[in-house]
Amino acid sequence: MQSNPLREGLEQERVPDASCLVIFGASGDLTQRKLIPGLYSLAHEGLLPPGQTIVGFARAEISDEQFRANMRKACDEHARTRPVDDAVWETFAKGLFYVQGEFADGAAYVRLRERLEEFDRSRGTEGRRIYYLAVPPDFFDDIARHLGAEKMVRSPDEGGPYTRVIIEKPFGHDHESARALNQIAVSVFRERQVFRIDHYLGKETVQNLLVLRFANGLFEPFWNRQYIDHIQLTVAESIGVEKRGNYFDNAGIARDIIQNHLLQLVSLVAMEPPVAFEADAVRDEKVKVLRALRPISEAVRGQYVAGSVLGEDAPGYRQEEKVRPDSRTETYAAVKVFLDNWRWADVPFYIRAGKRLPKRVTDISIHFRPAPTPLFSRLGLKMNANVLAIRIQPDEGISLKFDSKLPGPNVRTAPVTMEFRYATSFGAEPPEAYERLLLETMLGDATLFARRDEIETAWAWLDPLLRQWEKDGDPEPYPAGTWGPEAADALIEKDGRKWRRP
Amino acid sequence: MATPVEDLRVDVASIEKQLADLWRAEKHDGEKAVTKAALWNVVAHTWSSEQHAYATDILARASAAVPQRTIVVQADPAGSANIASWISANCHLIGGGRQVCAEEVSIMAAGDHVHHVAPLVSALLLPDMPVAVWWIGDLPRDTHEYAETLLEPADRLIYDSSFFDGVADLDLICRIAEQTTTAPADLNWARIEEWRAATASLFDPPAMRQRLESIRTVRVYSGGGDSFGATSEALLYVAWLQAQTGREPRHEFIPEGNDDGIIAVEIQFNDFAIAVLRGDRERGVVVANSDGSETALDCVTRSLARKPEDLIVRLLKRPEADRVYLKSLRIARRLAS
Repeated sequence: MQSNPLREGLEQERVPDASCLVIFGASGDLTQRKLIPGLYSLAHEGLLPPGQTIVGFARAEISDEQFRANMRKACDEHARTRPVDDAVWETFAKGLFYVQGEFADGAAYVRLRERLEEFDRSRGTEGRRIYYLAVPPDFFDDIARHLGAEKMVRSPDEGGPYTRVIIEKPFGHDHESARALNQIAVSVFRERQVFRIDHYLGKETVQNLLVLRFANGLFEPFWNRQYIDHIQLTVAESIGVEKRGNYFDNAGIARDIIQNHLLQLVSLVAMEPPVAFEADAVRDEKVKVLRALRPISEAVRGQYVAGSVLGEDAPGYRQEEKVRPDSRTETYAAVKVFLDNWRWADVPFYIRAGKRLPKRVTDISIHFRPAPTPLFSRLGLKMNANVLAIRIQPDEGISLKFDSKLPGPNVRTAPVTMEFRYATSFGAEPPEAYERLLLETMLGDATLFARRDEIETAWAWLDPLLRQWEKDGDPEPYPAGTWGPEAADALIEKDGRKWRRP
Repeated sequence: MATPVEDLRVDVASIEKQLADLWRAEKHDGEKAVTKAALWNVVAHTWSSEQHAYATDILARASAAVPQRTIVVQADPAGSANIASWISANCHLIGGGRQVCAEEVSIMAAGDHVHHVAPLVSALLLPDMPVAVWWIGDLPRDTHEYAETLLEPADRLIYDSSFFDGVADLDLICRIAEQTTTAPADLNWARIEEWRAATASLFDPPAMRQRLESIRTVRVYSGGGDSFGATSEALLYVAWLQAQTGREPRHEFIPEGNDDGIIAVEIQFNDFAIAVLRGDRERGVVVANSDGSETALDCVTRSLARKPEDLIVRLLKRPEADRVYLKSLRIARRLAS
């Protein structure tokens, strides 16, 4: 079927065909905070097709009407576009339904299939299916098996309406469990039907990394070992573990942030230009970066103790709810990373992630080599390296630092910055990452999703470090509200460099 | 909310220097951090003090969403020779206690000093930023050379076809589109965006998409009278439908009510089934039904803001010329002839 010619040139140029989107785990936090508010925002922007159908599946015994009321409350609290527009909601809510069931109960899938078939007739979804697994990985097997058994998954080789599945992280606990999870997925779905969400990839600034690098002639010639001294990537959170103590204490920051978000950022910063802006072309280049990761030889882990964050007392990690009092889980990690490839040989990437740091910020900084001749140093001036900083969140933007002469008769220099801020230049908040990723799934574009080989290669690189840390003693302590343990400063300072204050 | 810093009368020859002084003063005096930003040069051309005040007000609001250097020109060729200029900054609070400010320059020229306007505007344009000229009031059919010089650096010409008197105005716009590098942009085109989106939505389901081939008649109901300008939205809508479907169904423009703009659209198919799109201004939506009744299609499209500043922002947010509009414009001229 040809695309709709009336869509050409409209703000809503790409609108998917109506489908049934089934959310497993519909009573969970993710559904209420991100998924339904994100889908409502898409409807508000006119990006959902007429007939789009969303089916919640969970254990709770509630009716369609109760589900709609719960989701309205969720949108009232969490939608990006608030207050909720009653006219848009009215239509959106007509497409919300609920099926009660246990994930392991085959009869529940029969009920689900029957309802989906009814929607195919009444709402024009014509057999198109998206299954969103907003559940812990323990349930993947049950759900995938039952979907397969009830013939609710159509192979793309058969042609006809599509079936897609969205999987949330964590994609495993280590290399072996990730492979097992992927095996479950591909036992029922083809790889090209699987959309693994790393919400960082849905952020505008992360997507802008590709535009910055490959749509501008200025940067790419300098984007290599000849001109770049080193690169720093920071994912800092000011919060602790909140209500996720149980999960986090079994995971740690390396599994929670480095294996996925940070390595995705590393691969986007370091990848070669893809031959096309298409899913597999982009992901082929990203996975090449991951394959070039040199085994880790220098890393630091830390755990926060009581301190002060943003003017408030913060407890130590071991005092947090649902955290073992003798926990050795790391809440901070810094790793010196090398890529053994032509472009990046011997250029260190210093990556760090931590909880209870002074502020929430995700930032990439490219530190260029100094000017080749010490022309001004002979005058006793301190020269600063150029830094291109890309702020992923919050206050998204890009800045470039360079030296400038201070006005006056003497030759004195000072660093200055040129800044671009999304909010300043475009005057609008970028859409939520989940909105973009849900829409891309409906459109069938997997560019912003992680592929199986990316996930497994990332785990294979991180596993030895995790195993080593299991054998080591306690992590280095750092007071909440500081930038991590002293050993992390030493990691970079022994190379004659410093962490950039983001 | 725009906060204009007080107007400062300045010497025409030193506007740029005075703007720099203004920024220095802002930086020292302001309690909040100030960021200067610009994505566009927007030149508003007016013929009277009323139009000048209107343009100043609208662009001050628009600069919150599209930071710009604004130059508002008031030309009075019949007045006694004079030229004067003022500068100010339009500041908007964004998060974190920061202010984003855009510059505004006002130029008033009268008598034979009007010929100084175009070179002065040219000197005041920010380099490397695109230029939009918003032409308010009568199109320059009788002041061709003056307008041509003013439009010379323009990437975009913004105007409102609801003020058009007849097909000659469309001819002029088509000539600009065909013979210059200035892309026309009509506020009325932005006004019918919700109708285009609602119509597109109606034809999204694959079964309906096939019916695009069998559109027989299009009836557009619009308010505000039956003058050329009042039916301009309806004309553009039909032209767009023809441009995008490649078909030429019969069409009728039917005046209804006093509210400006399109009120409803009926699309009749070869099998005489009818799809209806109707604006529900109270609910702020356009509702589309197929076969004349509420169906499972649930085509509800949120109405878009219709204030002039919102329309200008929508036109400026599109970085390149709107190819669909240009196609539709040519068809609209043919339909109007």
